[in-house]
Amino acid sequence: MKKLLKFISPLAPDDSGACSVLYEMGGITVICDAGGCAGNVCGFDEPRWFTKKSALLSAGLRDMDAILGRDDRLVAKLTRAQEQLEREFTAVVGTPVPAVIATDYKALERMAEKRTGVPCVTVATDGTKLYDKGETEAYLKLFKKFAKEKLETVKGSAAVIGATPLNTGFTTADEIKAAFLKEGFTQVVCIGLDSGLDEVRRISRFEKIFVIAPSGIRAGRWLSEEFGLDVEIHSCPVPESYVAELKKLCGTFKKALVIHQQMTANGVREILGGDTAVGTFFELEKSAAEKNDFHIADEEDFAEKAQGYDLIVGDISLKRALGGYEGRWVDLPHFAVSGRTFTAAKI
Amino acid sequence: MTEAFYITAAELAAGGFENTPDELMSSRHMIYSSPATLDFNSPGAKGFGVKRAGLAIPGSVMLLVAPGCCGRNTALLNELGYNERFFYLLLDDTDIVTGRHLTKIPKACKEVCDSLDYTPTAVMICITCVDALLGTDMERVCRKCEEVTNVPTLPAYMYALTREKRLPPMAGVRKSVYGLLKPQKRRGDLCNILGYFSPLHDDCELYELMKSVGVSTQELARCDTIERYHKLSQANFNLVINPEARYAAQDMEKRLGIPYIEINRFYRIDKIRNQYRLLGQALGVEFDDGRYYDKAKQSIEKFRERFGQLRFAVGECVNADSFELALALTEYGSKVSEIYGTVGERNFFYIKKLAELSPDTRIFTNLSPTMLNYERRTQIDVTIGVDAGYYHPDLPNVMFNDEEQPFGYEGVTLLMEQLSAAAEKEGK
Repeated sequence: MKKLLKFISPLAPDDSGACSVLYEMGGITVICDAGGCAGNVCGFDEPRWFTKKSALLSAGLRDMDAILGRDDRLVAKLTRAQEQLEREFTAVVGTPVPAVIATDYKALERMAEKRTGVPCVTVATDGTKLYDKGETEAYLKLFKKFAKEKLETVKGSAAVIGATPLNTGFTTADEIKAAFLKEGFTQVVCIGLDSGLDEVRRISRFEKIFVIAPSGIRAGRWLSEEFGLDVEIHSCPVPESYVAELKKLCGTFKKALVIHQQMTANGVREILGGDTAVGTFFELEKSAAEKNDFHIADEEDFAEKAQGYDLIVGDISLKRALGGYEGRWVDLPHFAVSGRTFTAAKI
Repeated sequence: MTEAFYITAAELAAGGFENTPDELMSSRHMIYSSPATLDFNSPGAKGFGVKRAGLAIPGSVMLLVAPGCCGRNTALLNELGYNERFFYLLLDDTDIVTGRHLTKIPKACKEVCDSLDYTPTAVMICITCVDALLGTDMERVCRKCEEVTNVPTLPAYMYALTREKRLPPMAGVRKSVYGLLKPQKRRGDLCNILGYFSPLHDDCELYELMKSVGVSTQELARCDTIERYHKLSQANFNLVINPEARYAAQDMEKRLGIPYIEINRFYRIDKIRNQYRLLGQALGVEFDDGRYYDKAKQSIEKFRERFGQLRFAVGECVNADSFELALALTEYGSKVSEIYGTVGERNFFYIKKLAELSPDTRIFTNLSPTMLNYERRTQIDVTIGVDAGYYHPDLPNVMFNDEEQPFGYEGVTLLMEQLSAAAEKEGK
């Protein structure tokens, strides 16, 4: 049965993705929920929750707030939070509750800006889609709201879009920055990972924009159109220790499948070589895909499409869905799947 | 930026419950799910949230019918061995608006049951805020599932939206997990302890005291087979030790004819003694609790002699009512500098008492966004509770938050032992 999960837990949802992008931006991010969604984000999908403070709040909606559509109360609570915390902007992230009652996010945005006096970004997620959709929307909204003019280009500088823990498994930017510095850049910034709103505002000064996950593609395109920036889709770095282990697999298989977000999987394919395909439960960007790459719709689809590969490189938690898979499975943690970072896993 | 909001016990008591400041009322401000309190605001989060609690019936499985976001953190329970008992029917954006998913649930139930190499004792169908808003009649859907699968099917409502209502999610799920019980001949020598999803400590005197008057005790958490579970309805009466189980007890009284007696968890030993006296009166017996009382009292005196007036911060992620615990510590001669708790009508009584003994005690709420700006401004030697430990990582902490539940005199003794160990470690 479609949409029935018997072997794997639900993947990271769109509201988690939106929060992941906004986490280090320095604003007040309000998850428009009753408490459960915020619990999922803070307690599971946001590994930085325990190491980096962020004003990530729950709207604490109650049934009558939803039934009566009391947006004025929501804005009043947001205003109060802004008075207490004095942040540069506010953001409202959607969940199933506002989706059921058809909350007007544009109106909410206007009301919030008027009452708080600071910009407001709303992300119309509904908890039914996957994290990359929420990230896509959040990146785009942030750049459209805060990147206003073309600044003078800084030679040798690069910005990385898509560097969230959900995409990369990293909670700091060190390893990603190191990978791009090796490519000859002198200044590398990961948007939203060890960097805040200033880098969003001044995005147009970067000589190069690298997109390391499908969730950054739309924002990249917009930056290219708006400011003429040089945007490139690039494979997502994995830790050096993984690269070394993956290299040992070269030539040891007939047909391999890599399962992850597309740009990480592409990077792994570059290392493995041979007859290697990419499969992803998330968005598959055609321009970055090869002929045999495919999207995985659900558990059933996965069991069908994963047939015939003697090597699978993917999050170990997915293996259960393949029952008696007899090939070799090499663990490649994907935070959006199992909630494991690279540091928490061993190859 | 505003400093973390607090009010002293004296100020709060003077204003009365009806004048509790907005910052202490969770419905009047945004909620900060601080790392200290992740299991507090979300009914599905850590510890025994609705999802884990719903699987308290031995041999049962759960089908979570919800958008993906509601089931995401269930993976946390995998390491406890629950992954083979959870199944998910994911809703899409059309489902959550039209409710068309309701027709798919029986089929999903059937597929889940068919995929198992055993017949589950029950299927719990867990639904969330979406169905709360759609007004889903889940009992009807459960009946439909039973027709298709021949497996008893029960609803578990993970409605975060109704957290402050008469029937909050954790009270509702307590009712659900006793829902399979059928009326049967009752035995005069059996009683159930209702309250938690894990058992009381093995050494708790409640077991011995009941045994001493010829009554054996049963607990859901100790039912490792469905046969033992069904014996719960043989009980002569239910002993409710947590108000969240009151609704389940009322339902059992109505359906199974089992009356209930409600008692509380206290850390003030005179209250514990008084409660046992009253319980004895209700049962027509007299409990000989002297040696348990003496042991607890000795542990308090020993602690007081050894450490003098220690200063505490008391949180709410702890196996106690934080205000009652603070009051107990104050009565035992310690000082409680700060409390991180949720003020309600039920515990306001303790706050009034506390205001008399310790008017300067500062009361914070974990849920206020201002707690992002919290900084210690009082003298504290030891913290109690996971949340208090988070705010003061440099101080000795007693989490006192184990799954096995402390109760009665044994709870007091256990607390004093753990406090002593923490204070000794730091050379206080």
